[in-house]
Parts: sequence; structure tokens; C-alpha cells
Amino acid sequence: MKILTSAIAIAASLYGAQALAWEATEGRPFEGQTVNVLAVKSSQFEAHEARLAEFEEATGIDVVYDYVPFPNMKEALTTEMVAGGDYDVVSVMDQWVHSLQMLMEPIGPGIEAQGTDLSDFPAAHLRHGMLDGELIGLPVRGHVQLMFYRTDILEKAGVTPPQTWEEMVTVAKAIQENTDAAGVALPYGKLNGQNLMVWMNLLWGNGGDLFDADGNAIFNSAEGVAATETYISYLTEEEIVPAGSAVFVEQDAVTSFKQGNSAMLPVWWWVRSQLSDPEQSTLTADQIGFTALPSVAGADRTTFTNTWIFGVTAESDNKDAATEFLGWLTDPALERDVLMDPDLSEVVAVHMSNLTDAEVNERWGGMHQAAADALATADGVEFGDNWPRIVLILETAISSLASGEATDVKAVLDAAAEDIAAIR
Amino acid sequence: MKDRLLPYWLLIPAFIIVLATTIYPLAYSFITSFRAWDLTKSRRPEGFVGLDNYIYATGESQFLNSLWVTFIFVITSVILTVILAMALALLLRRKGPMHTFTRIILILPFAMSPALIGVSYRFMFNPEFGVIANGLGAVFPALQGVPWLADPNLAMGILVLTDVWHWTPYMTFMCLGGLASIPRETEEAARIDGASNLRIIFGIILPQMRGVILVMAVLKTIFALKMFDQVVTLTGGGPGTSTETLAYFIFNVGFRWFDMGYASALAWILTAIMMFISIWYVRMLLSERKMATA
Repeated sequence: MKILTSAIAIAASLYGAQALAWEATEGRPFEGQTVNVLAVKSSQFEAHEARLAEFEEATGIDVVYDYVPFPNMKEALTTEMVAGGDYDVVSVMDQWVHSLQMLMEPIGPGIEAQGTDLSDFPAAHLRHGMLDGELIGLPVRGHVQLMFYRTDILEKAGVTPPQTWEEMVTVAKAIQENTDAAGVALPYGKLNGQNLMVWMNLLWGNGGDLFDADGNAIFNSAEGVAATETYISYLTEEEIVPAGSAVFVEQDAVTSFKQGNSAMLPVWWWVRSQLSDPEQSTLTADQIGFTALPSVAGADRTTFTNTWIFGVTAESDNKDAATEFLGWLTDPALERDVLMDPDLSEVVAVHMSNLTDAEVNERWGGMHQAAADALATADGVEFGDNWPRIVLILETAISSLASGEATDVKAVLDAAAEDIAAIR
Repeated sequence: MKDRLLPYWLLIPAFIIVLATTIYPLAYSFITSFRAWDLTKSRRPEGFVGLDNYIYATGESQFLNSLWVTFIFVITSVILTVILAMALALLLRRKGPMHTFTRIILILPFAMSPALIGVSYRFMFNPEFGVIANGLGAVFPALQGVPWLADPNLAMGILVLTDVWHWTPYMTFMCLGGLASIPRETEEAARIDGASNLRIIFGIILPQMRGVILVMAVLKTIFALKMFDQVVTLTGGGPGTSTETLAYFIFNVGFRWFDMGYASALAWILTAIMMFISIWYVRMLLSERKMATA
């Protein structure tokens, strides 16, 4: 299943109208209860927390947030799954859902009672809240990939934003010839599969895929080898990335861009909120442009997606109150309020009604419509139970090639395929 | 009667704590190592699989790689730490305000969290803005822009460097204690006889420090075998698998792959290695004492 063109996604993108707003359950039946939330550290979720007064007043439910930095989030969720009982609501990244399935409680009937309009979620995000046909979480944070670039540097180099990966090499070299910046910041280092997030677009763009319908690895096909060679060549042959990129994780690449050392950055769109933040970036808003992620010449555009769902824990003693909270948290009006807050730079949206909203797009320069378009053709991966181990094998393979520890791309991918097949 | 039993009663709280925090987890993990346990499917261990987890390890390339990486790391970090600690101790054993001040600040690396050390060195060796990377590049232009942590050999070297930097102060103080116990008369007699400093060090001091050096080497070996924090924050086991030590591999197996049975077996393999080293050390120490009293 390469291109996700579900009827829901198309219908939702055409719908464009504001979904129904959340309303508290009549009679405040959960008054006095406390909902404990375990969330990954994110300014978006902090913005939600700052708006809790409205929910708490309407329902009488107290909500307490605990944040964990991303690198430690999986361990925190694992502890909660094994030891259990401390949290009622958790945020889980899409790739972890299957391996943390014992943590989550089905919420279908409860969410239906909340009046949540599931059709307002892009299918590419909503699918990650489904497990064995049951709804176990709702998307609250969802990402597509965009290519951010320095408008001033590209202008100085006399080039325009690339539309294909091939053009990206030409543009990057022109930048390096005319300025002091590196052409493009890319991650090749190991951290939760971050060095796979651009690589997979090249894989799909070259006509390859990770697995076939029977679950056998096919990333070591001729197409997969070509895609991998291309990705590695940016570092080893074309030399259009910063020195040290072989161990860059995503945040290193973002930092390189923010510090003015790289001119282009293919990354998740949420990063936009920090690119012109004066507390962490040397850049101003007018120096930053964006375009869709490049495609392989002659091929359809693809983008990998990343989704964070919020769900109710199986060990929660306050499941109904937690579901009530989820209903409020996934209200598109809440999301829109954060998007339009002039004191914030939050761009993340998972509701089609907001992605296609004219005022939202006016504020963010059309980025959300671009995201909606990308979501319509977004590719997905079936994250099974063994996905964490598969990620480790694949990211190690990419890292080995990037560092020069190994040079034969075919041999490395074949070895990775064997290791994956040998997973018990 | 009451007086005779009182010491045992007073020991009970400590024994309970040790039982709960050490004995029980050890026993539980040992039993788990003989069971299959996929944490994504069950909160409790599943059926017994005998030695399957141990046999699987012997044929798994990642485990064998982690053993080799650990061996390289341990050998280099132990040798460098012992030599550096001994050298520093010889320099610092004299009295004086500068020596006292140096001894005080020497403790700082050891007081730092290993995870923080890893993060700090990762930043310092960043080719774009790292102070060490750019400092070396300023002094030696050929080193400008070198991707220190991107090269498998250099990454291992920096990992060893962080570990040596962290543990040398502790070992130096051990050496200082050992040097203080050496009778000064033997050194003075050697000087009077015209022995050079180097001759005194290698002929008189080091032989008398043999026991201390042995303790240092064994302790440092055990600490190096367990080292984990710096791998997580400095290299993530990369580039590739070039710095994936056994401790880090066990963490991945248990907490990323959720294969708790296999992780328990690997942990016991590591424990067996440390026990072997400890037993070997005790035998060496006992044989030395026998020779000394004979």
C-alpha cells in the first residue's frame, strides 16, 4: 500500500468546514476526579496545558501534566506499561503504538459519546490511533516533512528552492560556491530512526519500499540500493552537508540551520516554530522559506508522516474522566486557538478543517495547505511489534555507510535484511 | 543471651534492604534469563526455554560485535587510566599550596555526572561550534572541520578519553594513598646511592605499589565493563556499531526491543565476566600474601 488515497482523506480535505466544538458531559459526572497526563515535552502541549482552566471549569476535573523529553519518552512509557497506574492519559508516538499495545485502552465508544468528528482527521494520522481495528488513541500532534530554506542565501547564490532531489544537489553546490553555508543539513546519526526519515522518501521515490505484502524486507532491492547510494552520496561524494553530519541527529541538523551554517533543511514542519525563535535561533522570520519536500525526478511526491496520539491507559482508574479530557484535547477549536495565538509560534495541526482554514494559512504563509496536500499523498509504514528493533537495524546500517565503517551499500542492506528476518 | 543476638537484630534492616534491592532482582533476572519474555505481549515472563537465550547470543553478530567493542574499550581505558593516575600521583605527592589546590580541583571530573560528560564532549567536538574541535583546528589547520565523532576510530578514542578523564582523579587519589604508605627511607637510600628518578620509580616505587595498581586495574575494569551513560549521550553506539558496548547493547535489547529474557541472559553473561575478573583478582591477591608471609 504505497499511496494513501482513502476516501476519508479526500473527503475531509474537500470538506474544509469547521468540525463541531466539544461540549462537556451534562451534569459534570466526573467532578472531583484528577486526570494525570504523561506527555512528551512540547511547546504545543504546554499551550494546551495553559488553556486547561476552561476544561476544568466546565467539568470539575483536575488535569495534571507531566512532561518527559523525547529521548526518554519511550522508557517512561515502558515503565508506565510495566509498573502501571500513575497516569490516565499518555502521548505515544506512532512507531511505538504496537510495541506499547498493553498500555492502551480502546476508546471508540467513549470518543463517540464525546461527539468527536473522526472524519476531520487525515487518514494518514488517524490510522496510527487504530490497533487491530479498534480506536486506541486520537492524533493530537502530527507532522509532514517540508523543505525549509534560507531565502537570503538562496537569493545570494542565485538559485531557487529545489523541486527534486537532483535539483537539491545543484542548488546546494551553488550555495557552497557563493556563500559560507553548507548546502543542506541532513541527519545520518542514530537516534530513534531519525536518519531514516529523509531516506525513506528517496526509497519510495525510487520505486522501492521497506517490506512486501508478506512482510519480507525489500529495501535491499536495486531501487533500495539506488536510494541509499543517493542519500549517502550527499555526504561522501557530493559533500553538500555540514562536516560532522555523519553523526548528526535531527536536532543537530536543525541547530546547524538555526545557527546559519546550513542553507536548506528537510525536516518535520513543527520545527518552523523554533527556526525564528530569538531564544534559540539567529534567524528572523523573513529569512525562512519553505517548499514541499523534493521528489525524485519523474516520480510522485511522497512524504513520511509522524503522528503522536493521546490515549487512555488500560490501568487508569479514571477512564471516563480521561476520555472526557481527550474529547476536549482533540477539539479543533482548541487547536485553532493555539494556531492563531499571536504570542505563540505553534504550527502543528491535525484537523483538516484547520489545515485548510484561510486565516490559518494566511498567518503561516500557506504552510498548512501545503501540509494538507502532502497528507493526501503521504506514504505510511505498518509499524508492527518489532518496529523498534527494525528501526535500530536500519538506522545502524545507514550510520555505518555514512561513517565509512562500511562502504558496500548492497552488502550492508542485505545484512540488515538478514538481521530483520532473524528477529525472533 | 540478649547481648549475643543484638548484633544480628541490628543487621536485619540492612539485610532486608540488600535482599530487596540486590538479591531479589539478581535472582529474578537469573530465572528470567531462562524464560521467553516479550514485553510487548505480556507483563510477566512466559515459558521456560532453557539455555536458548544464551545459545542465541553466541551466534548473534551484534552481541559478538558488542563483546569486541567492549574489549577494546576496557583495555584502552584501563591502561590509560592506570598510567595517567600513577603519573599524576607521583607529581602530586609532594606538599605545597599548588599541589593542594590541584588535588582539590582534580576531583571535579569525578564529581560530574557521566551523562553530562557525554553531552558536554559531544558539543565540544562538534565541528561547527565545538570548542575542542575548533581549538584543535586553530592550532593545527589540517584538523579544521574533522568530523571527530563521525569516524569509528576517532569516536572510540573520544569515548575512551571521556572515561579516562572521568575516572583518573579517583584512581589518582588511590595512588596517593598507596604512595603515602611507602617508606621514604628506601627512596632516600636509593638517592644517596645515585639512583635516578626514573630508576627509583621503576625499581622501588612501582614494585611496592603493585597491590594498589592491581586493585586499581580490577576496579577500573569493572567500571569500564559497566560504562553506559557516555555511550548514550556521546555516540548512541555509533557511528554504525563502532561504540556499541555490551552494556548499551543489553539496554537496547531490554528497553528498545523489549526482549527481556534475552536481555537478562546478556546481563548475566556480563556479570559472569565481571565475576571471573573479581575471582582472578582475589586469587592473585591471596597468592601475593602467601608469598609475602612465606
